[in-house]
Amino acid sequence: MEALERLNYSGEFSPLRDRMIAELEDVNTLCLTYRSRIYRYALLSLKDPDLAETITQDCFLKAFNARKDFRGDCSVATWLTRIATNLIRDCTRSRKFQFWKTANSSAVEAGDIADRLRSPGISPESFLVVREQLVKVWDAVATLPDKQRSVFVLRFVEDMELPEIAIAMGLHVGTVKSHLHRGLAAVRKAMERTR
Amino acid sequence: MNNHLSAWEQEEYLLDQRTPQMLRHLSECADCRAAIAGLEHGVGIYRKAALEWSAESLAVRPQPYVTAPRQPVLTLRLAMAAIIPIVLLLLALIPFHLSSPRRPAQPVAQISDDALLDQVDEQTSVAVPSSMESLTHLVSTESGADRKGSKPLAQTN
Repeated sequence: MEALERLNYSGEFSPLRDRMIAELEDVNTLCLTYRSRIYRYALLSLKDPDLAETITQDCFLKAFNARKDFRGDCSVATWLTRIATNLIRDCTRSRKFQFWKTANSSAVEAGDIADRLRSPGISPESFLVVREQLVKVWDAVATLPDKQRSVFVLRFVEDMELPEIAIAMGLHVGTVKSHLHRGLAAVRKAMERTR
Repeated sequence: MNNHLSAWEQEEYLLDQRTPQMLRHLSECADCRAAIAGLEHGVGIYRKAALEWSAESLAVRPQPYVTAPRQPVLTLRLAMAAIIPIVLLLLALIPFHLSSPRRPAQPVAQISDDALLDQVDEQTSVAVPSSMESLTHLVSTESGADRKGSKPLAQTN
C-alpha cells in the first residue's frame, strides 16, 4: 500500500516500535492520552454520546487485547483510529442503530451545536451570521455518506495526514483525496447558501 | 487575471497540495484568496464546534479507570500446571496395573453355596448333637472306659 510506504514507522525491532508497544501495555496511560481523540471521532461519526463512549471503551479493550499484533507500521493514534473505524462501521450496520437513527431520539441537531458555540469578542450580529453558517455547514457534513464524513472529520478535526487517514480507513490515498474533495464541495455549497 | 483557481484547485490548496503556480496566483488575486478564506472559514467553524461539543460531552462523563483484563492465558497455564502432574502420575501407573496377574473371577453365588455346604457337612459329621454334648461324659463305651481307667456308671451307683 502506498500509504504504508510513505509512512516510515516500520522496522520489526526498531526502538520506535518497542516504545509504541510499551505504550500499548500501559492501558491507563493509553486511555488518558487518546481517549478524547477517539471519543470525539466516535461522537462526530455517530452523533450519540453514549454510543461514542461505548465505542471508545471497546476500542481500548480491543487495542489492549491485540497489542501483540501491532506491527508498528503506523502510529498508535492511527492504529487506534483504525480500530475505532471498524467498531463504528459495525455499529452503524447494526439493525439496532438503524432503528434509533430512524427514531432520531438522541441525535443532536445542528441548531443545538450552534447554540453552544462560544465566540467571545464578536458582535451579536456577527455571531448570528456565524451561527447560521455553522448550521448549514454542520448539516452539509452530516448528510455526507459515512466514509466521506469520517475522512472529513479525520482531516479537518483531527488534523491527520492523508496517508494516515488512508491507513486508518483502509483506503487508498487517492480515494481519501476524492472523499475530501466531495466533503469540501459540500461545505462550499453550504457557505454559498448563507451569502 | 482571468485564470482564477478552480474549485478543485482551491480544495487542493486546503489539502496542502499546493503548487508554485497556485501560490503565485494567490499572491496576486484577491478574489481567489477570498474564496479560499471563505472555504477555510466554513471548515474552521465546523472544527471549532466539533471540538467544543466533544469537550463538553466528555467533561460530564466520569474518567474511567481501566484495569488490564486478566489474561486467560495465565489462568490456563496455572490450570495446566495443576493437571499435568496428575495425568503423568496416572500414565505412569498404567503399566503396573496392566502387568499385575489377574485372578479368575469367582461368582459370588458360588462362594455362598460352598460356604453353606461346608457348614452342613460340619454339622452332619458331628456324632453327638451339640445340645447333648454335656451328657457324653456320663455315657461311655466299655472299651473307652477301660482305656481311661474309670469306673463304669452302674458300679458307682
